[in-house]
Amino acid sequence: MRRRTLSLAARLFSALFMLLYLGLRARAQEAPYFVTYDHHLEEPSSLEIEASTTAGSPHGGQRTFFAPYTEFEYGVTGWWTSELYVEGQTTAQDSTLFTGWRLENRFALLAHDHAVNPVLYFEYEDVNEASRITTEVTGHNQLGPDTNATARLQLDRELETKLILSGDRHGWNISWNGIVEKNFTQNEGVEFGYALGVAHSLAGLSSGANCVFCRNALALGLEAYGGLGSTQSLTLRDTAQYIAPVLAWQLSPNSTLRLSPGVGLTHVSEPLLLRIGYSYEFPGFGEALAGLLHHRGKSGLQ
Amino acid sequence: MKTAKTFSLLSLFVLLVTAWAQNPGYRVDPGWKVPPKAAVKKNPLPPTPAVLAGGKALFRAHCASCHGRDGQGGRRAADFHLAAVQAQSDGALLYKMSHGYRRKGMPSFSQLPEVQRWQIILYLRELGKERGHRK
Ligand code: HEC
Repeated sequence: MRRRTLSLAARLFSALFMLLYLGLRARAQEAPYFVTYDHHLEEPSSLEIEASTTAGSPHGGQRTFFAPYTEFEYGVTGWWTSELYVEGQTTAQDSTLFTGWRLENRFALLAHDHAVNPVLYFEYEDVNEASRITTEVTGHNQLGPDTNATARLQLDRELETKLILSGDRHGWNISWNGIVEKNFTQNEGVEFGYALGVAHSLAGLSSGANCVFCRNALALGLEAYGGLGSTQSLTLRDTAQYIAPVLAWQLSPNSTLRLSPGVGLTHVSEPLLLRIGYSYEFPGFGEALAGLLHHRGKSGLQ
Repeated sequence: MKTAKTFSLLSLFVLLVTAWAQNPGYRVDPGWKVPPKAAVKKNPLPPTPAVLAGGKALFRAHCASCHGRDGQGGRRAADFHLAAVQAQSDGALLYKMSHGYRRKGMPSFSQLPEVQRWQIILYLRELGKERGHRK
């Protein structure tokens, strides 16, 4: 019993120490996008945890909602990043509920960077119709006065693929994502969508000081995303379309705060989507964890 | 007793992590080619203390997690004190940093402003001078 207590305390303390130690080693600059993917994958063995939320204003019989989600993004190798999302939702004068999970994998196709860099993206999602995080928009849309109680009963099990084309030039990034999505639980055909992003880092010569309130900590951008219809009706009618300025603010070498007020452009779009996200990176997480477990295995301490 | 055990465990962990952060056996991959036009590029920045301080901070922020705090190399990442690395031109090192080598675990840093990438190259040269080149 005493041995177990010791082992647990040691384990917790080691884990805490490891996180702090890793936190002191810093990382790369983040693109400011919420919806668009660029070609930069997570660094191998790094773990990034991001807590974000999408909030929407009332419209078409709907109420204000607040949809938080957390992403765990891990660099499996230099060319493969894996990511798990868990998401929920709260609607004013309605309820709070868990809306599902998503598992995605991104594979960079080229060994080195070029002017345009292709990345393939595969995602499986198991969410319900109450999901409101709106991190991808496809097909056609409908804004209905569904309550959470009815929306949660409709499941969306979907397979989504994206082709990401992205490149950096003179401090600018331009990224385009083409989306193809198949919902296995509803008869919607194959749905299409896109996301387009342009971003620019305001950083210049570094002074060496960790400056939070200066332009070196800022990146600005603009995203546009929306549905492109489906195989059942390949038109832009009743598709949701958004345009959203994005801002990334590097608070410390490891953490970034991102903000984006998105504006809906069509009658089936949410009029306003306000996004906030905070991400924290643990570089070398996987290797350190593997080392720790390896050592523990050898020492016999369980 | 409890504390002693926990601390020995922690020290071992730190040792393990530090042990990774050394790569004297690193070999430059001859297959990682740099276009001649990129290799002849000159660093536009002067090595003033202020510019170097910025380079060091950028190195610590973006590179040290793999290449080691003092550029001594990581489990797979290059040791910047090696003669074979330092023998390459500024332009070649900038090109490699900017384009990466994903299959071998080196990310691309094209998202960093070019001026900051040059600052890092200046710092890499300082690292080469600090301890002298290793064979
Ligand atoms: C995620 C780990 C990682 C990070 C972060 C990283 N590197 Fe590397 N780097 C590597 C690996 C691994 C190699 C070895 C590639 C090979 O085997 O050819 C490498 C190789 C290099 C080389 C080529 C050396 C040669 O063989 O000629 C340069 C230059 C370089 N890195 C610069 C940088 C700079 C500058 C940074 C920070 C801006 C950085 N790296 C950040 C992993 C990393």
